[in-house]
Amino acid sequence: MMDAMGIFDMVLALALPWLGWRLLASPDLFRAMVLFISLGLLMALTWVRLQAPDVALAEAAIGAGLTGALFLSALRRLERLSEAERRLAFAGKREEEDEIPPERHRRAKPVAYGLALLLLAVFVLLLAWSLAQTPAGGGLGPAVGEQLGQSGVRSEVTAVLLNFRGYDTLLEVMVLFLAALGVWSLTRVRLPLQDEEPGPVLATLVRLLAPLMIMVAGYLVWIGGSRAGGAFQGGAVLAAAGVLLLLANVTVVRQIPAALLRWGLALGPLLFLLTAVVCVAAGGNLLEYPPQRAGAWILLIESASAVSIGVTLAALYAGGRPPEPPAQDRGGEQGPGRDADADAGGRQ
Amino acid sequence: MADAAFWAICLVVAPLFFAISSFVRGGLAHVFGPLAAWLNALAVLGLTVSFARSGPLRYAIGGWQLPLGINFRIDGLCVLMLAMTAVTGLAVSMYALGYFSLRIGSARQMSRHEQQRLFFWPLWLLLWAGLNGLYLSSDLFNIYVTLEITGLAAVSLTALSGKPAARLAALRYLLVSLLGSCSYLLGVALLYRCYGILDMAALSRLVSPGPLLWCGLALLTAGLLLKTALFPLHFWLPPAHANALAPVSAILSGLVVKASFYLLLRLWGEVFAQVLPPAAYVLLGALGCGAVLWGAAQALLQKRLKMLIAYSTVAQLGYLFIALPLIRLDPGPAARQAVVLLILSHACAKSAMFMAAGSIFLKAGHDRIADLAGIKEVLPVSSFAFVLAGVSLMGFPPSGGFVGKWLLLGVSLAGGQWWWGMMLVTGSLLAAGYVYRVASRLLVFKAPFFSRRQAIPPVMEWSAVLLAVLAMLLGLLAGSPLELLAAGNQVFSPAGLEVLR
Repeated sequence: MMDAMGIFDMVLALALPWLGWRLLASPDLFRAMVLFISLGLLMALTWVRLQAPDVALAEAAIGAGLTGALFLSALRRLERLSEAERRLAFAGKREEEDEIPPERHRRAKPVAYGLALLLLAVFVLLLAWSLAQTPAGGGLGPAVGEQLGQSGVRSEVTAVLLNFRGYDTLLEVMVLFLAALGVWSLTRVRLPLQDEEPGPVLATLVRLLAPLMIMVAGYLVWIGGSRAGGAFQGGAVLAAAGVLLLLANVTVVRQIPAALLRWGLALGPLLFLLTAVVCVAAGGNLLEYPPQRAGAWILLIESASAVSIGVTLAALYAGGRPPEPPAQDRGGEQGPGRDADADAGGRQ
Repeated sequence: MADAAFWAICLVVAPLFFAISSFVRGGLAHVFGPLAAWLNALAVLGLTVSFARSGPLRYAIGGWQLPLGINFRIDGLCVLMLAMTAVTGLAVSMYALGYFSLRIGSARQMSRHEQQRLFFWPLWLLLWAGLNGLYLSSDLFNIYVTLEITGLAAVSLTALSGKPAARLAALRYLLVSLLGSCSYLLGVALLYRCYGILDMAALSRLVSPGPLLWCGLALLTAGLLLKTALFPLHFWLPPAHANALAPVSAILSGLVVKASFYLLLRLWGEVFAQVLPPAAYVLLGALGCGAVLWGAAQALLQKRLKMLIAYSTVAQLGYLFIALPLIRLDPGPAARQAVVLLILSHACAKSAMFMAAGSIFLKAGHDRIADLAGIKEVLPVSSFAFVLAGVSLMGFPPSGGFVGKWLLLGVSLAGGQWWWGMMLVTGSLLAAGYVYRVASRLLVFKAPFFSRRQAIPPVMEWSAVLLAVLAMLLGLLAGSPLELLAAGNQVFSPAGLEVLR
């Protein structure tokens, strides 16, 4: 018997690979991005159906929302590159690369794709078969349930992320920090992000939405202790507010000093690290919170991390280090990536 | 004196802390960076001493015992890899200190070099923390996170050079690295579904052959092979390593590719050693042979010095994979000891080579091998370092490479599989060929050399020489690391093998 939810699940299961295929096959980048965002939303629905609301929240906010925004911003940057610049970049590429002769290239491509697809299909079939063959191992669910009382929080996900496997999360926060660092090392940002002035609709919307989003972010961090939510989800909503402010070209956002931005990026990682060290200094192991105060410590870490995650993701959207010092370097900011690409001689 | 666990914590926390500090206070980056390098060396020294005294150790992070928590597992192999990272990393840091103090060219380039210096230190320290965390961790998922840190930092460092070629190589490196990570993560998920546990040591007691295990292991291995750049998956390595800044090339070639190989060694030599069929080892060994031949042949054909060194890395990584079937073959610990020695000596020699090549590049303004004749007149120390590192790569006594290959040769002949030994000898001859190609120009031909009058700071030349000398002497000093290796790890000591079989 198939009830309504069963039919819904079937539709989901069919729609996901179909959307993925349309996305990969689409020659139009913009279309592919729209498809990607819908894929992310469907994924979020799938996580809900799999009873993983935390993952669903993260998927919707980061997988669909912010990644989609990042893609769109990357596309706009590509379009901004004038034809001449693109040709220049291509020439530079050709110098370094031994180009494959065109005819050979054309013939080799479908064969290689076909082979790769075939291998992938065989492997997926093999995987499905062996998954069906093997009973699932116990997993750590029961162990988490047993120890939940000592973790200081009531949500199992938060207990695992911030306490049982807090070291993983510490390093993951570093990964995000590293991502922002990597982007900052590549290029400078050019504000405003939009060429044209924001219309009155956007300005009003931002004025209404931004404070609300900041409140929602705070709520998500707070509720993370007992239900679905937490630093990553809160941070993502915070980042969305940041993106809106960037798009509306609000003066306050433009005038944030670079040093403050640096501290914003570093706050979460630094506080997390210091907490870990304080635990050692207090006589415990690394990241072993004092049992009575574990809940408070976790909330502190999550709040700081949420701020940093928000700043990091918004900085990724802005796509470069802040322009400092603003008065002097005007010449280097005429095109995205120009300051770094143009004088490529240098040294090695 | 504090115990081993304290030093292990320092090894992760200190580089992270200084990475963040040198980002927030960019003006002090060139102080924080070397300071972190020296502190790291001190911590490794402390760890080695207390490890030699008290033996292997597990440390429960957060106080949570297995299976719930994450453990550090400190054994001989882990300590040796940490020591390798500390020594090579310290030399590279000192080199980088000199490298980024140089100011070349126009004012515009100067601001660019300033940016490179500002971002090099935090990125490099994060990479370092990732490596240390990877060697210490016993948890497969935690290792995934450290692999991500290492990979992302390596990509950002590659792109730091700013040349279009370097950026293109970095983008390709990023995609390959992400694909490898995805594959690894999927493998970990499958293993977790099978056994419900992520700790490597605990897993080695549970594993039993089955289709899902093969799928998981295939994914794990494929991801790591991509990251280790085993032939024919090496396509991304030469452009990335050759186009990066000199200290970055030394880090990438000397240290980063070793991390994923270390993990393969753990999985294939230890955790899954009992269930994997011998044919799988032979397959990896055969790919290793391909790497030795292809890498050396390409190195012989290269026109640019840094490309030659990068292809030499492809070839040298092949040796490590040739050692895998021999590990399977060998009843004693000789093959395992040999592969560790090869890893250590290649890290020192290859970093020294890239550092020397970087000095030569700065002095000459190019790295076309044909036009480098006579540079020993202006850069005697760096030329010496390059040649010495090359000799160590060839496997001349008393280098670490010699002892490693000698041990492997003995194992392959004793086990009746002489073809592996033959590949080792062939590889050494080919290495001699491409090293001679450069050495003859550097040392023998006397040509008038027009330098750019760029003064190379002595610290850049001497850090390279010290590393090259260390690689050379590693054969003589091999006794103590091998003892350390046997002390901490069952699999690597003769007594432990009896238990295992």
